Amino acid sequence: MTCDRIREQLPLFLYGELTFDEEERLEGHFNECAACRQALEREKAIHAAVDSHSTEPPPALVVECRSRLRDRIAAETARPGWSWSRRLGQLLWPAAGAAWMRPAGAVALIAIGFFGARLSSVPVSLRLSESTPDPLVASRVRYLEPDRQGRIRIGLEETRRREVSGSVEESRIRHLLMAAARDPNDPGLRVESVDLLRSESATAEVRRALLQALQSDPNAGVRLKALEGIRRFAGQPEVRSALAQVLLSDDNPGVRTQVVELLVEQNSREMAGTFQELLRKEDNDYIRFRSQRALQAMKASLDTF
Amino acid sequence: MDPQATAAGVLGPASVLDEAALIRAAQKGDQDAFERLVQAYDRNVLRLAMNLVRSPEDASDIYQEAFLRVFRNLGNFRFDCSFHTWLYRIVTNLCLDHLRKRKVRKEEASTVETAEGERDRTAILTEPGIEGNPERQLLSRQTGSRIRQVLEELTPRERTVFELRHYQGLRLRAIGEVLGTSEEAAKNCLFRATQKMRAALGDLV
Repeated sequence: MTCDRIREQLPLFLYGELTFDEEERLEGHFNECAACRQALEREKAIHAAVDSHSTEPPPALVVECRSRLRDRIAAETARPGWSWSRRLGQLLWPAAGAAWMRPAGAVALIAIGFFGARLSSVPVSLRLSESTPDPLVASRVRYLEPDRQGRIRIGLEETRRREVSGSVEESRIRHLLMAAARDPNDPGLRVESVDLLRSESATAEVRRALLQALQSDPNAGVRLKALEGIRRFAGQPEVRSALAQVLLSDDNPGVRTQVVELLVEQNSREMAGTFQELLRKEDNDYIRFRSQRALQAMKASLDTF
Repeated sequence: MDPQATAAGVLGPASVLDEAALIRAAQKGDQDAFERLVQAYDRNVLRLAMNLVRSPEDASDIYQEAFLRVFRNLGNFRFDCSFHTWLYRIVTNLCLDHLRKRKVRKEEASTVETAEGERDRTAILTEPGIEGNPERQLLSRQTGSRIRQVLEELTPRERTVFELRHYQGLRLRAIGEVLGTSEEAAKNCLFRATQKMRAALGDLV
């Protein structure tokens, strides 16, 4: 393969869009050709520069967009001709529900206490505008007792929402976020809570919470967010050990890919055993490839003993 | 970012089954389920729109229009493709339309005057902080400016493919599905975009 052809393929190589065999051919060429190795390093630098200038939407804009969308959908469903089932859905969805106003940015706004979870987890819920005009109160019919006179006694379970606000730097807000990060009913809430906690990962308790989320959250999105939060602590022994465990046990190739990249960056010989074990059980070509390269760089055997 | 993670992890609920259940519930009028779908994807949708149209206001409008279209048409969604592909198809079509119209109108919508001169509207919102080192700050600003200039000069399709591959982590095959084209055509777009990026940044990195 000529150097020109190799260099043409560098972007696809870095994007992981080549086959295993093609990557092997390139790797073989890099071992022999200093100029192409240099071209690869330059391409990597360009990638890194482009990476570092990614545009992230400001949390306030996300909140504003969600709020606008909620209003537009409310207007949409109020129009004549909207289907009955959707109108019913609207009735069952409290207009002042806090769901759209999830915590975002440095200031967290947290709603707690809806049946210990959220209205969505309740099979039947409704707002009784006559008896409970307060939008912060949600009611659920628990039992019905008709009597012989045709009257009905209705037992209601009512839950009041409370809101607290503050900075993620405040301990009480952090603790609420850590609790929300464990809410088994709402992966979206967990993702956002972990996302907010990332900025406080220098705090030991937050780092523990992020590690726990990375190791045990059933949602891969939450695990990836947690990984972002502890990325800069990958050099610490307990974090590295947790990462090794995730690399060997996580069922999501996306998570494993991110972890293997992070561990390769650490370039620690302590990881040789993990990479060897990974080669024994890993199906994903790219992850196997990265492990192989890491072991070769350490001059370690590819086999476990 | 691994494309698998993008398709089913970062953007969406943990499993395809969870997502399918959410979609079915939303199709039956469960707005909480719809809201969860929105929240699973909306940051990436907004980031995609912001990176493509380079204006927070326009990106916000595209966000509204995209999710309204999803809301109106979710009942017709038949799981012929993934929800993620369907949503991204809507968003990228809106962005491409916007970029084509802007090109026709020859607007300068992506820059704004600041005390430091003309700056990209999205850059002033989110530029990464490089503290302490003025030289690095300057270099980072120059690099950022060059990157934005290249992105601005890419054709709408090249920019979309580059954004989807580089920042959103989609595989070229998935990008082909989103854009209604082949993997090969997506690869060619990416190739041209990376060539332009390399040419522009060569002396800075």
